[in-house]
Amino acid sequence: MVLVLALGDLHIPHRAPDLPAKFKSMLVPGKIQHIICTGNLCIKEVHDYLKTLCPDLHIARGEYDEETRYPETKTLTIGQFKLGLCHGHQVIPWGDLDSLAMLQRQLDVDILVTGHTHQFTAYKHEGGVVINPGSASGAYSSITYDVNPSFVLMDIDGLRVVVYVYELIDGEVKVDKIDFKKTTAATHSAH
Amino acid sequence: MVKKRVPEWLNSSLWSSTPSPSVDDDRVQRYTSKPTTTTTSTSEPPSVVEPPLPVPPPSASVREEPPPEPQSTDSLSDHDDKGTATPSPEDFSRQSQLLAELSKKVVNVRELRKIAWQGISDSAGIRSTVWKLLLAYLPPDRALWPSELAKKRSQYKHFKDELLMNPSVGSHRKLEDNGTSCDSDESKCQSKGLLSRSQIAHGEHPLSLGKSSIWNQFFQDTEIIEQIDRDVKRTHPDMHFFSGDSQFAKSNQDALKNILVVFAKLNPGIRYVQGMNELLAPLYYVFKNDPNEEYAAAAEADTFFCFVELLSGFRDHFCQQLDNSVVGIRSTITRLSQLLKEHDEELWRHLEITTKVNPQFYAFRWITLLLTQEFNFADSLHIWDTLLSDPEGPQETLLRVCCAMLILVRRRLLAGDFTSNLKLLQNYPPTNISHLLYVANKLRIQSSG
Repeated sequence: MVLVLALGDLHIPHRAPDLPAKFKSMLVPGKIQHIICTGNLCIKEVHDYLKTLCPDLHIARGEYDEETRYPETKTLTIGQFKLGLCHGHQVIPWGDLDSLAMLQRQLDVDILVTGHTHQFTAYKHEGGVVINPGSASGAYSSITYDVNPSFVLMDIDGLRVVVYVYELIDGEVKVDKIDFKKTTAATHSAH
Repeated sequence: MVKKRVPEWLNSSLWSSTPSPSVDDDRVQRYTSKPTTTTTSTSEPPSVVEPPLPVPPPSASVREEPPPEPQSTDSLSDHDDKGTATPSPEDFSRQSQLLAELSKKVVNVRELRKIAWQGISDSAGIRSTVWKLLLAYLPPDRALWPSELAKKRSQYKHFKDELLMNPSVGSHRKLEDNGTSCDSDESKCQSKGLLSRSQIAHGEHPLSLGKSSIWNQFFQDTEIIEQIDRDVKRTHPDMHFFSGDSQFAKSNQDALKNILVVFAKLNPGIRYVQGMNELLAPLYYVFKNDPNEEYAAAAEADTFFCFVELLSGFRDHFCQQLDNSVVGIRSTITRLSQLLKEHDEELWRHLEITTKVNPQFYAFRWITLLLTQEFNFADSLHIWDTLLSDPEGPQETLLRVCCAMLILVRRRLLAGDFTSNLKLLQNYPPTNISHLLYVANKLRIQSSG
């Protein structure tokens, strides 16, 4: 039972001052084992804050990040799953499923986490799952001003992942979940 | 003011705590103790009543003439030697009495208590059954045993399944029960598309801060589970049964941990307190070493219920809020102090007033851990035989045994100052346990007389 927090596109301090208070009250240290961050934090203070929640922090570089040494993409293995991380501004068209699927095949991962669109989405295709946790601070994006703060918490347990989606809608935290099971033997690659 | 005279028998050399390992010495002492007390008692005021020994040595040999069929001496407790290689005829007779009692259709628990009081020998492996009867886990009627055991064991299994489950498994199970398994959906829609979102039950997400959320409870319990884990790993590090890298030791540790976690969850008022692991260890050890394989396999469940029963008398010692109350640990220690004053005022005065050794410094551990930390494992099992079988109840008996412990080293205590007395009492010297229990028993007769 491994808890993995996926969030990003905070754009602190340029587009948003901080995470919403209700989110901050829920995010307490000690519960989460890994954090995956899609990027665009943008400053070091946010990095330090995330580090206090969980020491195992993975970040991919977003175009506005002030820290230049984050990698463009990152892959890691948690339990039975391979996770891939990328900010998403490199993948054109932004947020397009087919292009993201290409990236997923390139990275050879089961779950790809990208951001940049500031909208929560969760797609499934033959290769695996693509998750976009949205913007945790509700910062406006290049595309739209209408952004609900959201982030994602994944509970990885063996071959099963439960994805809990936390959204702040009209000042209230709404939580949904998505169940996803990895098919063991079947690898749909054309090798 | 007349200083109360110490009874002569207390000052006799018998009460000095020289350890006598061989059984023969012990028997000799017991035989000789009778004549000395008779001689001194005549010169004493009638307050010293000739104590009727529980099994007077002469009659023991009368009761059972032929020794019973030779028991295999490869005792189960191979790691702790009681120091007696060959059981004495008295041990045999007690053993056979116990076996006789146990094989009756309806066990007479009072009789059992009387026999078990003197100690249960290890070789026949009956301690496990006797303790279960003494702790009222098994009903006296033998015919009911299988059904009772089955019931209790399944109850424990149910507890475990419910309480030891981790939340993500729990939510999965609920999902499957509801029949909305996404698995069938997944296999059907191979093509791409948005993943369907589903509602969750109120507040059942990992970051939930709600009191009723299983996730929140899980994280809160993690702290206690960690503490239990640490203590279990430290239990009896010198015994292969409990510690070491073997698979056997690990499984025993897991069993102890499970029992303590289930107990902590079922008793939110008292949860887990350091020390409970020490009370649990002897019970589990005895039950796991039951020669009956079926019983040994179910040792965890049996130990749980017997642990609850044992702790029921001593719960209040573990509750911090009750420390200063009438039922708390402080009051029990005061009772011990009073008992000592009653029986040996000189020693009491010397300890508490002259050398200012506050009984809390030594008696706290004696009382809360039921003397498991003061003697080696085999000896503490022997003491527990007496504690559990005494009709007065374990608390009263415990106080008498503690008092006896003090009296046995009175020579050294009277000669010592604060430091040496404290050192002595916190590292109690090895003693002959039967001797100790004999003295403890004498104290009972005295106070009632």
